[in-house]
Amino acid sequence: MSLRTPLGRFLGLGATHHAVGHWVAQRLGAVALVPLTLWFLVSLLALPAFDYATLSGWAGRPWNAVLLLSLVLALAHHSWLGVQVVVEDYVHDRGAKFAALIVLQLAHVLLAVAGVFAVLKIAFGSFA
Amino acid sequence: MVAFRLPANSRIDRSGRVFKAAPGAKDVRTFRIYRFDPESNDNPRIDTFEIDMATCGPMVLDVLIKVKNEIDPTLTFRRSCREGICGSCAMNIDGINTLACTCACSGLGAEVRIYPLPHMPVIKDLVPDLTNFYAQYASIRPWLQTRTPAPPDRERLQSKEEQEKINRPSACILCACCSASCPSYWWNSDRYLGPAALLQAYRWLVDSRDEATGERLDALDDAFRLYRCHTILNCTEACPKDLNPALTIAEIKKMLAEREH
Ligand code: SF4
Ligand code: SF4
Ligand code: FES
Repeated sequence: MSLRTPLGRFLGLGATHHAVGHWVAQRLGAVALVPLTLWFLVSLLALPAFDYATLSGWAGRPWNAVLLLSLVLALAHHSWLGVQVVVEDYVHDRGAKFAALIVLQLAHVLLAVAGVFAVLKIAFGSFA
Repeated sequence: MVAFRLPANSRIDRSGRVFKAAPGAKDVRTFRIYRFDPESNDNPRIDTFEIDMATCGPMVLDVLIKVKNEIDPTLTFRRSCREGICGSCAMNIDGINTLACTCACSGLGAEVRIYPLPHMPVIKDLVPDLTNFYAQYASIRPWLQTRTPAPPDRERLQSKEEQEKINRPSACILCACCSASCPSYWWNSDRYLGPAALLQAYRWLVDSRDEATGERLDALDDAFRLYRCHTILNCTEACPKDLNPALTIAEIKKMLAEREH
């Protein structure tokens, strides 16, 4: 039982802060993803064929690689911010929420690193 | 997780008592009203009242008062002003949160469903527990905060344009129709302020006489208190005073973003 006042309960541990940064980053990411996604789709469709040699040749060209890296990072970041909001909205058990957020954040980092590695490998050729 | 089903003791028994209109009644309208008696161990139920509108006032509140006076004195609801200014009689009428006293029966169907505001604990019948709602309002410090002492011989002055900024948000009657219609508020009202309290936070943020704007924004820079609003706009749709809480929430987010740069 708690005899805390309703006001004390609502104020809880105080403001989280940094929430405005999260909100701005989410919007900036969305804005950046519009041209990146358009560029990605248009350039893919403009390719003469979809075999490995053509695709890796395309992805390995410097500006293509730079834009692909930007797309991978922006997508992973934007997806993480969005997923975080969804979890905070719907998962109320503190333990489950914490665990879900950690697992999902690590998964996004892993995917981003894998994407970056793939583009670099193509761009700089095989390291083996 | 979010509860999509009501807990077992909140499930509604739809076969409550039925009160027929007197034979010979011509203009009959049926009202299906949510009932919950905290003193019994029964689940909530829906009672049905047939009302002869020829003998009743035009608003839903008139119907409730008629039922209480003439049919079932145990029917419990809040009301005071009966003219849309006290905010007491907010309830869910045919799926829409609104004020019973300004809701005309003629605009509704032949069968009208009346429930308490959704997703709030129910004290009895149509009376929700607004304790947390009022605590949230108190948390935004709804009073003038200044460091400059007031002039000794007069009130603190505002220009006409400055007054106009707080004119509309000051018209909020804290009925809770908006907050109780907001899905984000349903899921997270333990930490999310909700549209009503945020509209009031805005009212004090834009008050030209207030000197605590920075502290007020600090308190709102919170992942839950402010940023649970996902601009669903149910709040603006629901407000019986035609206010626009969603727009003012967007304005608060803009103020916070503005001071970052
Ligand atoms: S706009 Fe915001 S406050 Fe209004 S209903 Fe939607 S989420 Fe709730
Ligand atoms: S904003 Fe409108 S709906 Fe919300 S509490 Fe105020 S008057 Fe009621
Ligand atoms: S009775 Fe006052 S608002 Fe309805």
